[in-house]
Amino acid sequence: MANPIEVEGLTKTFKVPVRDTGMKESVRSLFRRDFKEVRAVEDITFQLTPGEIVGFLGPNGAGKTTTIKMLTGLLHPSTGDARVLGYQPWQRDRDLLRRISLVMGQRNNLAWDLPALDSFALNQAIYGIPDEDFRFRQAKYIETLDLGELVTKPVRNLSLGERMKMEIVGALLHGPEVLFLDEPTIGLDVTMQRRLRNFVLEYNRETGATVLLTSHYMADVVALARRVIVIDRGAILFDGPLTSLADRFSAHKKLTIEAADLPEDVSRWGRVLERTPFRVVLEVARESVSTVAAQMLSEATVTDLSIEEPPLEDVIDRVFTRASDDRAKN
Amino acid sequence: MSDRPAGPVRLALLHWRIGALNEMQYRLNFWVQLFNSAIALATGLIAIALVYGHTTSLGGWSQSQLLAVMGVHIAIGGILKTLIQPNMNRLMQDVQEGTLDYALTRPADSQLMVSVKEVSLWSAVDVVLGLGVVAWAANDLRGDIGLTHAAGFVFALTCGAAIIYAIWLSVSTLSFKIIRTDSMMQLLNGIYEAGRWPVTVYPGFLRATLTFLIPLAFAVTVPAETITAKINWWMVAIGFGVTVLALVGARAVWRWGISNYSGASA
Amino acid sequence: MTAPRTEFSWLRYYRAGARIGFQRDIQYRTMTFVFLLAFLIEPIIYLAVWQNVAVSQGGSVGGYSAAALAAYYITWTLVRVFNLAFDPYAWEWRIQRGRLNDFLSMPIHPFHRDFSFFIGGKVVWTALWLPVAAVLTLIFRPEFNLSLFNVLAFGVAIWGGFAVRFILLYLMGLANFWTTRASAVFGVVIAGELLLSGRLVPLSLMPEWVDSLATWLPFKWTFQFPIEVLIGRLDSAAVWSGLGAQLLWAGGMGIALWWGWKKAIVKYAAVGG
Repeated sequence: MANPIEVEGLTKTFKVPVRDTGMKESVRSLFRRDFKEVRAVEDITFQLTPGEIVGFLGPNGAGKTTTIKMLTGLLHPSTGDARVLGYQPWQRDRDLLRRISLVMGQRNNLAWDLPALDSFALNQAIYGIPDEDFRFRQAKYIETLDLGELVTKPVRNLSLGERMKMEIVGALLHGPEVLFLDEPTIGLDVTMQRRLRNFVLEYNRETGATVLLTSHYMADVVALARRVIVIDRGAILFDGPLTSLADRFSAHKKLTIEAADLPEDVSRWGRVLERTPFRVVLEVARESVSTVAAQMLSEATVTDLSIEEPPLEDVIDRVFTRASDDRAKN
Repeated sequence: MSDRPAGPVRLALLHWRIGALNEMQYRLNFWVQLFNSAIALATGLIAIALVYGHTTSLGGWSQSQLLAVMGVHIAIGGILKTLIQPNMNRLMQDVQEGTLDYALTRPADSQLMVSVKEVSLWSAVDVVLGLGVVAWAANDLRGDIGLTHAAGFVFALTCGAAIIYAIWLSVSTLSFKIIRTDSMMQLLNGIYEAGRWPVTVYPGFLRATLTFLIPLAFAVTVPAETITAKINWWMVAIGFGVTVLALVGARAVWRWGISNYSGASA
Repeated sequence: MTAPRTEFSWLRYYRAGARIGFQRDIQYRTMTFVFLLAFLIEPIIYLAVWQNVAVSQGGSVGGYSAAALAAYYITWTLVRVFNLAFDPYAWEWRIQRGRLNDFLSMPIHPFHRDFSFFIGGKVVWTALWLPVAAVLTLIFRPEFNLSLFNVLAFGVAIWGGFAVRFILLYLMGLANFWTTRASAVFGVVIAGELLLSGRLVPLSLMPEWVDSLATWLPFKWTFQFPIEVLIGRLDSAAVWSGLGAQLLWAGGMGIALWWGWKKAIVKYAAVGG
């Protein structure tokens, strides 16, 4: 089966008017406008295979939302091509729109003043969902997310978390094969984030739908995606398994040692992150981890030792810092 | 720099200056406003011409006199759109979103703060246009009008603007209790439109409503009367009385509103 | 995965949309009622002014007696309730808030969503209008020439006026895709509508040439025509040709809208919301 999402050399450039301050400039700007070209997305290429869940990571303004907009037909690319289920999204073919779904965090498609149930009924009419499919899915989702009494309350009376649950339900009633999630858990508390993630995972498992997810929260990405695409300033920096992300970008690992007879000075083994009489946490260069560990085991009576990858947030942070440092140098 | 907090007049002027400077950046808006106001004026003139194509006197008013009414209506409408409406809309929005605290936690009168914060500079075009129409109409009636009339006009106009302010503030203050008041503002704006014509054209109880309940009569018709020598100085005096009553009433409503305020997001 | 079965039907969609519109307006009936009152101040003003003129001219002006004027403007109020449409200023708001993006991801044109919502709302507005109309009738004492044919034709014409005005305003809303100063354009069109639709005065009170001009523009078919059908000022031939004109305008502007929308979306999608 063909890839549900194919992106080839996709580029999007915006023309932004340049406005200078000062009286003379304001007058000039009435007659002639200067424009600056902003490359929001620059020549990106990637594919998603059926049933894949891919996380799209990047700082604000990296081009994630621009890419999603191009893939959902909201934006025309400047050059390049993209196919979703074989269609070019910006042609906005009805048949394509019936088979995909876009959920953006903190936005609502549901009628604000009415109970969610009414909006679901409207969705059934919009997507032409057959009655049994509709009833079955609606009942199932309501039960899974425990929305029983909430579906009859006007949407405006729901908390942000409850509203997002409704949004997701509304987005999945028509059984889309491709799901785009743009910052879906933003502003939600931890429990709610987890509920939503599990729901998406379950949907993916049961229907084999393909999911492209952007998020600020590493927890979202770690929980849902096996593969990440890291984007910064419109260009792809990394496209591969999540587990390789740290390998690729982080030079260090975190080593935690507990021993009753730790030496005073442990700085020769690595950078000290934390130190108490019987416990030390060190940042050690990746290549040296086994040697350092062996040394410590021989020099102290170690009762506990653990080796961890640095938190992915730090890794990503470093990726972006390094990227902008590289840019600054050039 | 004085070490006393600024008095109300200075505060007002400061806010207006900032608001105006802010809007001056958007010079295109001036042209758009001028265009829209010109269209509205043209429509109004056509309407009057239509009426006077069929008659010579409407409710006891000649065409030039009616032009004066329209001029006053546009001018006060301009003051409404420049100084009053932006603040009232901001007030209602702040109440709805619970962001009114800026007005309540400063060492200045809260009513003053909410009344002068915003300014819609380019709407002042209407004030100029309106007064221009009044001048044109007054010119037509030359000989009947003297300096006393002009002074009376300015006085009545000021009272008129104050009455409008009091009405708008009172209704907006209701938003403390009834969060969604946009429909009521729309109603108020609709009622203001009735002031386009002298209150004598309206049947009995409508006329009474527009004189006593929502005193548009004193806001628009009376100032127009002063400049067109239809003046009855008693009306101006009563108008002043109504103005004072309206302002005192609005102040009372405001105090009530503030004491009820609890922040919409609570 | 193969494409899922769909059972899409226009009738079903419009029913669902109308239901939502109805429920929304019922929910906010107090606010709607106040808005209704706000909209209906306009004809009262005109009515008062023209009745004054009629009285000063010995009882009637341009073939309209005071009672006939009352009939005209009271019918106006119902026609107005029906021809309230999705206005271009709302478009401006919608685009600025990014709400358009939400609608664009749906496999149905936002026109149908807005149109069906409004249709549903008309039921609520009409119900709220009834007491207002009753009061106005008591105050202004209108005179009607009702006939079964007129009433039935009115029932059609009033929806026709709604359709024509809805499409017209939607078409005007497209200007928002090309300029942020679209309000200037609307101002002109609305002013034109005021004078050329029978909204300000019955067109027969306007100069001849204005009346003729109005026949070639869509405005007349949204206000004057339905009003005149009900108050019995048109013979049956005029009624039929008027209904035909409504159909033509709705159809013609609908095509323009379909074509214009395509262009608008391309423009929108070049820059994005």
